[in-house]
Amino acid sequence: MDPLSWGEIILRVLAQFTPVWISLVLLFVVSMLFKRRLGLYGKLFDSVIGMIGFALVMFWVFTGIYGAFDLIVTHDPLSQISAMKNKPPGTPVPGAAEEGLYPYYLFGGDNLARDVFSRMIKGSWVVVQIAPLATLFAFMVGITLGLPAGYFGGRLDTFLSFLANLILAFPVILLFYLLVTPEIVATGIPNYMATFLFIFPIVFAAVLLNSRYHTRPRLRTPLLIGVLGVLGWLYLSLISEVGSKVHVIPGFADLFDVPSGILVVFVSVVFVNSPTVFRIVRGLAMDIKTRDYVAAAQTRGEGTWYIMLWEILPNARGPLIVDFCLRIGYTTILLGTLGFFGLGLPPESPDWGTTINDGRRLLQIYLHPAIVPALSLLSLVLGLNLLADGLREESLKD
Amino acid sequence: MKDGYSGPILEIDKLSISFFTRLREIPAVMDFSVAVQPGEAVGLVGESGCGKSTVALGVMQDLGKNGRIVGGSIKFKGRDLSTLSAEELRDIRGSEIAMIYQEPMASLNPAMKIGKQLMEVPIIHRRASEKEAFERALQVVTDVKLPDPKRILNSYPHQLSGGQQQRIVIAMALMAEPSLLILDEPTTALDVTVEAAVVELVKELGKKYGTSMLFISHNLGLVLETCDRLCVMYSGEAVERGSITDVFDEMQHPYTQALFRSIPLPGADKNSRPLVAIPGNFPLPHERPPGCNFGPRCDYFEQGRCDKGNIAMFDVPGNDRHATRCLKFQEIDWNAPISVGKQTEKAKPGQVVLKMDNLKKYYEVAANALFGKSGETKVVKANETLSFEARESETLAIVGESGCGKSTFAKVLMGLETATDGQILLDNKNIEGTPIEARDTKTIADVQMVFQNPFDTLNPSMTVGRQIMRALEIFGIGDSEAERRERMLKLLDLVKLPRAFADRMPRQLSGGQKQRVGIARAFAGDARIVVADEPVSALDVSVQAAVTDLLMEIQREHKTTLLFISHDLSIVRYLSDRVMVMYLGHVVELGTTEQVFAPPYHPYTEALLSAVPIADTKVVKQHIVLEGDIPSAMNPPPGCPFQTRCRWKSKVPGGLCEKEVPPQRTMADGHQIKCHLSEAEFANMEPVIKVAAE
Repeated sequence: MDPLSWGEIILRVLAQFTPVWISLVLLFVVSMLFKRRLGLYGKLFDSVIGMIGFALVMFWVFTGIYGAFDLIVTHDPLSQISAMKNKPPGTPVPGAAEEGLYPYYLFGGDNLARDVFSRMIKGSWVVVQIAPLATLFAFMVGITLGLPAGYFGGRLDTFLSFLANLILAFPVILLFYLLVTPEIVATGIPNYMATFLFIFPIVFAAVLLNSRYHTRPRLRTPLLIGVLGVLGWLYLSLISEVGSKVHVIPGFADLFDVPSGILVVFVSVVFVNSPTVFRIVRGLAMDIKTRDYVAAAQTRGEGTWYIMLWEILPNARGPLIVDFCLRIGYTTILLGTLGFFGLGLPPESPDWGTTINDGRRLLQIYLHPAIVPALSLLSLVLGLNLLADGLREESLKD
Repeated sequence: MKDGYSGPILEIDKLSISFFTRLREIPAVMDFSVAVQPGEAVGLVGESGCGKSTVALGVMQDLGKNGRIVGGSIKFKGRDLSTLSAEELRDIRGSEIAMIYQEPMASLNPAMKIGKQLMEVPIIHRRASEKEAFERALQVVTDVKLPDPKRILNSYPHQLSGGQQQRIVIAMALMAEPSLLILDEPTTALDVTVEAAVVELVKELGKKYGTSMLFISHNLGLVLETCDRLCVMYSGEAVERGSITDVFDEMQHPYTQALFRSIPLPGADKNSRPLVAIPGNFPLPHERPPGCNFGPRCDYFEQGRCDKGNIAMFDVPGNDRHATRCLKFQEIDWNAPISVGKQTEKAKPGQVVLKMDNLKKYYEVAANALFGKSGETKVVKANETLSFEARESETLAIVGESGCGKSTFAKVLMGLETATDGQILLDNKNIEGTPIEARDTKTIADVQMVFQNPFDTLNPSMTVGRQIMRALEIFGIGDSEAERRERMLKLLDLVKLPRAFADRMPRQLSGGQKQRVGIARAFAGDARIVVADEPVSALDVSVQAAVTDLLMEIQREHKTTLLFISHDLSIVRYLSDRVMVMYLGHVVELGTTEQVFAPPYHPYTEALLSAVPIADTKVVKQHIVLEGDIPSAMNPPPGCPFQTRCRWKSKVPGGLCEKEVPPQRTMADGHQIKCHLSEAEFANMEPVIKVAAE
């Protein structure tokens, strides 16, 4: 068989993405039809920039989800076909017909003879899964600490701000290396840090619900028990690992095991991002606490957590949503950086950072194994930034 | 006049301005005509959203991206402004037409010294030399009566007080000796006594420089004091235009009439002659009714006639350039007496509910913010020996300008702060030392507050009903959600809002409606004492009356004690039973409304009374303008707090005012004044406000 020409490659790639195109068109048609009723999300469809950004982001989200169900991928991301080592894009796979494989490596093969296209698709799932979740954790920590710092001010604020500055001043790369050094892992520090950082969402949920419903104990008590029970179990499953330093619950109750590499990724992302979130939330809280509705809540004797979480936080959501989008972008790049340094994720992981690092070594001879994940990373982060821009612009208009 | 032109300075003819949003075109100004003659001051009056500021921006040709002039013309000295190039416009702005905005701090560049900002004007517009420009700046700063002009020129905007900043903005506008000065609510952000001085200054300078003025304001009294002619706007249209005396005394449009009836002029009384609020709401720009915009709210509305087609301006025969946009102006009997609203009995004050005794609140402020308490600290005396009693179903007004300590007092009463000394007795229980967390639910529910800013008083991300229900929850009222919901709907009925509003978000409500929700929330726990902190000052005149009446009505029903904090003496005179005047943390005068509004006065009360603009041509006011600004509470003057601005100071022998804080003296039955003046001087005081015989 002959190798594919560039035109054929593009056509085949586009065809391969068919489910993504269908989903995107559906999503946009439905959103456009109901945009007046969808609040800020609907307003996004008035801004071309915002729409482009949203389309790019959703493209990768759909790709990641369908990729996870093996829909778009053409080959197994880990299987090696020795003849395909470093082959350029569009090279036919020998003996594909007999084995029922897809007949081409659309974006060529990497230096371990794996399909670059499929690895890119699989890699997007890693990013789409981890980046928003890790950012969400960072926000929880930042909000839980930023609100009291801004609301109470004084010594607490000085102390927390100093801590935030301290973390921000710490060299990030050094921190990552420290976290994965075997000696440090053996002391259990990453696990203890995870134990500490991941408790924040639980504290957050508990305070949020209790402050709102403490006047109605009949609703509050079962609600809290339920929510905290589920969250607590998830939390324990997350941090506890048979054989590691933190081993609290027995193996059979452990719902899932997060590989310690991913845990390190989470910890570092939260660690790096939460001080910045803390500062934003603190500033917003300082501004909003002077409003009359906060005074009204104070004069009817509301607790401070109710005021912070139900009076201040909802009204700070605009800037926070925009920042959330931007920060997912940073996190994506951070994941790339971590992967590039071979930290966190296992070496055979198809995530973009790791694949860029793998491709780097032969970059001068074979460009494609590195350029494909690099462009993917670029388009996703660009999409997130455009989306944030669009949201910011539209939230200012009325 | 810079050139030989001798027609009207500004001629706006059938001007229409629209804003284009992504949904629709929103007409902001329609068929608007006005002419400003040389040396004339024309007032533009109307409620918020009526398009008065849009007219000003149209004159400046500064409508932004979305705004466009869709019809008519604006001629400045005979030249149509819309035909000028950007460069020609730049030449005119600042040198021929100058504008003064509401917020002085926002009009000055905070990073540039005052002198430099002023000198820019002649340097840019007339290419004057630095020296010439400095001379001119010095002269103008002297003209706006700022003390020590050289020092002022050398300071940054934040080093000046609000009143001084606004004077600098005026000075900047006058630097180029413009032919037209546009003032957009120039004194709204200032205190009353400072406002009076600034208005006085504007009037004087207008005469001195022969500048024509377009004065935009929502305050009829202020326009009466400053302008020669006036134009009343309603919902994007001019509804009445004419000279001050014609419009004030021979109004020819139902809206103008309704407006005058809804403001508390001397003579109005909450029991015998209540205000007449304008029914309904201001129409949204894209929901204007057909025909007359005021039709749906008008008493004289005639179906089939007032709601058909466009209504033009008609000239009123016999008067000088007096015109009205009313089809029926010749049929309406304008002199018919006001049909008096429902009269009510004056409520009898019950027993004492709240008693303050020698309340003191001091703050310690660290002189050095960075290194905390190690440096020296300064004591700010926010409240000094506050003593008064408030009875059931009584309205006690607390009057004073910014920094007088009224907000601190409210905070201490609510329990957000604790008192430094003295006592607050609520039903003979001491609460001065109990912070709000330590108070029981009953006490908290008993003392509630209505806030000033309607746009800030409700949480923007919670439905109206939910917010009221939250207050009910906190006060432990109702056993189930359904019960609380029922009670919340009743509260909406109480404040006369439709029950459908329960599921609305605050942004869907107008200012007046939000304020009603705020009142409903305050009364959720059947409050017995309600502190109303300027509850209507941010509302439009026509809405003010309705909200005030609502407060009074609820008070009558619930026998509430109302502590009404305000700086607006007209509304205080209208609704309060007793008045307490505060200045720099001191109570300077306390008495019944009649006692406080009649001599003998405390010198500060006297100045305050004179400063409040009254929209009635029959009222003759004694003219008292206070010098300078209110001293900072951080650094109060020695002796009597008011001595720096007092015009009676020379009458007290021996410089006593500068040495000693005057004692609280009892003049007549319960009337207290804190002043050193002798009995004879008090007896000689003349009333400030006199209503001329009709």
